[in-house]
Amino acid sequence: MTADRKIASRAAWLLWCLCLFSLQPLAFDSARVVDVAVVVHPDTPVTNLTLAEARKVFLGNRQYWSTNIPVVLLIRAPVARERNVVLKTIYQMSESQFKQYWIAKIFRAEAASAPKVVYSNDMANELVTAIPGAIAFIDARDVRSGAKVLRVDGYLPGEPGYPLR
Amino acid sequence: MCTRWLALLVFSLGSSALLAQPTPPPPNQEQTMQILLDRIQQLEKRVSELEDHKRKQSAAQTGTSDSQTVAESTPVPANAAPAQALHSEHPANTTEIREMQVHYPSLQIRGFGDIDFSATDQKGSVSGFDLGQFVLHLASPLSEKVSYFGEVSFTAQPSGYDLQVERTIIRYDYNDYFKMSFGKYHTPIGYWNTAFHHGAWLQTTISRPEMVKIGGTFTPIHFVGLLAEGNLPSGGLGLGYSVGLGNGRSSILSKAGDSGDSNDNRAWVASVFARPARFYGLQFGGSVYHDKLSPLQGPELREWITSAHLVWTKEHPEFLAEFSNVHHRDIQTSQTFNNQAFYIQVAYRLPWLENKWKPYYRFEYIHKPESEPVLSDVSDLVGSTFGVRYDITNYAAFKGEYRNTRHGINEPRVNGVFLQTAFTF
Repeated sequence: MTADRKIASRAAWLLWCLCLFSLQPLAFDSARVVDVAVVVHPDTPVTNLTLAEARKVFLGNRQYWSTNIPVVLLIRAPVARERNVVLKTIYQMSESQFKQYWIAKIFRAEAASAPKVVYSNDMANELVTAIPGAIAFIDARDVRSGAKVLRVDGYLPGEPGYPLR
Repeated sequence: MCTRWLALLVFSLGSSALLAQPTPPPPNQEQTMQILLDRIQQLEKRVSELEDHKRKQSAAQTGTSDSQTVAESTPVPANAAPAQALHSEHPANTTEIREMQVHYPSLQIRGFGDIDFSATDQKGSVSGFDLGQFVLHLASPLSEKVSYFGEVSFTAQPSGYDLQVERTIIRYDYNDYFKMSFGKYHTPIGYWNTAFHHGAWLQTTISRPEMVKIGGTFTPIHFVGLLAEGNLPSGGLGLGYSVGLGNGRSSILSKAGDSGDSNDNRAWVASVFARPARFYGLQFGGSVYHDKLSPLQGPELREWITSAHLVWTKEHPEFLAEFSNVHHRDIQTSQTFNNQAFYIQVAYRLPWLENKWKPYYRFEYIHKPESEPVLSDVSDLVGSTFGVRYDITNYAAFKGEYRNTRHGINEPRVNGVFLQTAFTF
């Protein structure tokens, strides 16, 4: 009986370890969730946006930071995680709805052009620094030091309550 | 005790087996594949552009001929480029920064088209196919603050194609609160007339509601003049406005005064709308339009159009409702006439089958007093439209509709089946 119990105990321990092992990728996935920073050109006269204001900017309903600084939208190409976060959180649209939205927006003469597509976070970093009025979403780990990162709803990336992740 | 351990064993096995199962494929896997393929194509194009650019630069530096450069360059395998690009970060260089900056003028052209089929049980009607409007849209920023928009349509007629300039607008943006433009617009009355223009692909349904139909007289579709528009400082309420002064209707009421006004009285229009930040997707507003009508036949009239709309622009569900009252006052006799119209449209993008299906329903109503002197082509209407839209790609859709309508009083109801494929290119 004692031997049986020992064997059963060892088997259960092994299975428990297996359980933990199979749960590990899930835990790893959740730890991998990284905030997406909102980065703007250094001369942009804004430091904080509410999520609603960010939506207004990215929907093209706010087109000027100030009278002389037009908003230049930069967005990652399809499949990038930053784009998915923007579509899900800001636009609340699918990829096809997003495309249709911008065609309709331009066709209504409400905007002259759609957001410009960038192919990497490095490219986004470069362009947001080079183009006055530019705004981009960049993986918080890839934001270059010295870049102007906006608070969203009062929070910076990494802080609890930050909405873009 | 042993039994308890066995139970734990079975539970552990079960749970680990469950956890070990692979993640089921997402329902929109096909769409993701399409996006990936698009991305690959974009990256391949980009790589070849960069290679070309590099080749040209080195050719210019070394002074060697283009043919030599091409001959010496090693072609990149088609499948290697996307793999490299996907796994490596892509810093922007000076050329890309220059490319990203807008050049003036920068003309963009987009086309819209549709092909339709209709069959009704109305006496004397002929079923069959017809080409809808072929529409070209032009947009070109002329500077940071000045932009041009144009729209032309080609409509099939028995004797050929009718070419119309639907919109031509030059706009100066001072800031978000004040944008001034001149040209020919879709009159900012209500919602539909400024939200959906001539491309049928843009709208959920096959046709526009009768009250705003192209070529109709209930609402003046076009307006020639100037328009000031912008946002109003209103915090989360998201207020916007537009105020216009122009020619209004010509002596043929369905036409705008492109070549000049039909009288010495300008039409004006003012509209206000709200897009509350708290309810993303909601829009409501109202508008007022005033003109003096000098029709070819009939008395001169003062026209007041008041309109209100309430829309929820998301697709889960989509809700559009609009009401207009067209008030006419005879200048000679002071007799007044009130014509009313509204529609309510509900649609829902189904979450299954890759979100491609969107069933919809629209109810329409128009009332015109019998004594109304000028809106001769408008008749009382009660109608229902049931339909479904299927988005075959991001840029093309099939639509099918059943309509049950009654035009006029004591007239029989008409049933009809309508099909359309609409696209943008």
